[in-house]
Amino acid sequence: MVDTTVMQAKQLPVKKRHPKLEDYSHTFRLLLKNKLALVGMIITTFYFIIAFLDLVFPRYLGVTNASNLLSFSIPTAVTPIGPSFSHGLPGLLGYTEFYSHQYPLLTISLAAIKFDIGYSLFIVLIGAGIGTVIGAIAGFKGGYIDEILMRITDVFFSIPFLILALAFIFLLGRYIIMAVYALLIVWWPTYARLARGQALYIKSMKYVEAATASGASTVRNVFSHVLPNVLSPVFVQISLDLGSIMQLFAVLFYLGVISDPYFPELGNIISLGQNWLGAGLWWPVIIPGIFILLFTVSINLLGDGLRDVLDPKLRR
Amino acid sequence: MELRYFIIRRLLLLIPTLLGLVLLVFFLLRMFPDTYLVARFVNPKSPVPISVQYANAKAALGLNYPIFIQYFFYLKALFTGQWGTMSTSIYTGSVLKGIELYFPATIQLALFATILSIVIAIPLGTYIGARPNSVADQTGRVFSLAFYAMPVFLLGLLLQLLFGQNVIAGNPLGVLPIAGKFSFNAVGAIPPPWFDPSTGLTGPTHLPLFDALIHGDWKLAYSSFIYLILPVVTLTLSLLAAILRFIRAGMVDASNQEYVKTARSKGVPESLVIKRHVRKNALIPTVTVLGLLFAGLLGGVVVVETVFNYYGMGILALNAVINVAIYGVLGTTFVFGVTLMAANLIVDIAYAFIDPRIRY
Repeated sequence: MVDTTVMQAKQLPVKKRHPKLEDYSHTFRLLLKNKLALVGMIITTFYFIIAFLDLVFPRYLGVTNASNLLSFSIPTAVTPIGPSFSHGLPGLLGYTEFYSHQYPLLTISLAAIKFDIGYSLFIVLIGAGIGTVIGAIAGFKGGYIDEILMRITDVFFSIPFLILALAFIFLLGRYIIMAVYALLIVWWPTYARLARGQALYIKSMKYVEAATASGASTVRNVFSHVLPNVLSPVFVQISLDLGSIMQLFAVLFYLGVISDPYFPELGNIISLGQNWLGAGLWWPVIIPGIFILLFTVSINLLGDGLRDVLDPKLRR
Repeated sequence: MELRYFIIRRLLLLIPTLLGLVLLVFFLLRMFPDTYLVARFVNPKSPVPISVQYANAKAALGLNYPIFIQYFFYLKALFTGQWGTMSTSIYTGSVLKGIELYFPATIQLALFATILSIVIAIPLGTYIGARPNSVADQTGRVFSLAFYAMPVFLLGLLLQLLFGQNVIAGNPLGVLPIAGKFSFNAVGAIPPPWFDPSTGLTGPTHLPLFDALIHGDWKLAYSSFIYLILPVVTLTLSLLAAILRFIRAGMVDASNQEYVKTARSKGVPESLVIKRHVRKNALIPTVTVLGLLFAGLLGGVVVVETVFNYYGMGILALNAVINVAIYGVLGTTFVFGVTLMAANLIVDIAYAFIDPRIRY
């Protein structure tokens, strides 16, 4: 009799609990409740889908040679045609013109989104990775390592981002990939400071004390206690920074620091079309501008929403 | 601790940061190979063999010494005003002189924008933050988010399109000039002695508005004022949007505090609660981010100078990068760094002034 009950108990489906997963789904549901964040998320997702499609199925977006604007062009030197329905899909948002070539704004903007998002994501993720680990270790270790790190970040913060990026581009060379490295160098201290602050707080927690007392090494402490807890503020910062980095990247192209006039990038497209502004033609500037603006606004909405949801004080 | 001692301590902390800044600039310089730095001093037509010239120039530049001694040489050169020379498309000559000529325009734009946005942001932020989720609040949030997220050059171009003279034919709003510092028509046939027609710069402050006022030239002063409007408005809007976001968040945060509830429940008039209890505490987090915002503003000035052709140190720095003028890049980077450090110093002192807790 006893045996059978034990057998039955064993056969009962045991509901496995995944506290982390439940937490994530709860966060996600809270995020969906925030209308503005939802809008931001939808638009951002849409941008990522465009970038992904462009990467995997470029033909669907009319992209043939993605990294050169010339491949999109029609060689005629006339005043650019405005947005209209009469020129088929590529001409829907009008054309821009430079050096006697017409470029359909819709197609080149879509092609530019891939590079803009790709490079911004690369900079933010790598910068966040390096900065967070360095900051967490320094904050946890304390002592002279921490002091040195803080002085280094002080120096980085004592020069405006754009100027520092210009200086490093000057040093590395005026190429796109060098601009990416320059922005990485400029951006990691932000994350190092953020992670350091959090690490200092987590270090004083009882569970870290317990782990240290039971013989956990610094590396183990940092990777299994500090980093998981630093992750959510870093994640919020990433979503907020993605827009800023994309702006900075566009600004570098706009200023003409990166010497590649035919690279599809939204800031570059604006700078190439801005001469038409003097003639009162708005679309060569405004259309790519809207593509940047929409992305930065929606990523900021998403970031604000994430911050509200992940902040334990405001949560639930 | 008294505010006095806090300021002295803060000033002392400036020294290591300044040395660090010089170290970074020095690092940028030393990352270039010796041959590159020496190239200027080597004359292939000279009868002296190239290798001898190379060695002489290297010795003259102090490149044979250990790296940390070179750092001290660099410090000495920096503080004795030997910043080298630069040759770019807009300016050729001593870097220090170039910075003296173009820096005032940059700091003028930055200061005007900062003052204007603070003056607008505090009352507007108080009004909006005191009425969360009202129509004014929602409108304010949408506008501040849009201007905050908009790249500065896009905002500048948009304003040029809307308010620029002769941009759109028949636009009643298009009355403001879009490029330059003043109209050359306002100068007159015989330029005054304090005006240099070849560079378009005026003396003694190199700011056309103030120079014209000093010399009593009302026509030029009016012209320079009109040319200043769009660049300053562009910078103000982008900075205002950011400040407004922080003030609003601070106001909402502060109005949920216990002491505000206490003040309300004991019958303090609402306007006094907002003014004394909410706003004062809402400004504290705003002041802390002002330093960071000023860093963004200085970057924005570079962009605005380019958009509006308002020649300043940003354009000088940009030209130095594009024309590979190494000492120009180092000099402008250093001056931008010092400017930001000064701004951070002011912000920290203001912070200690507003929030007495920070002094202890």
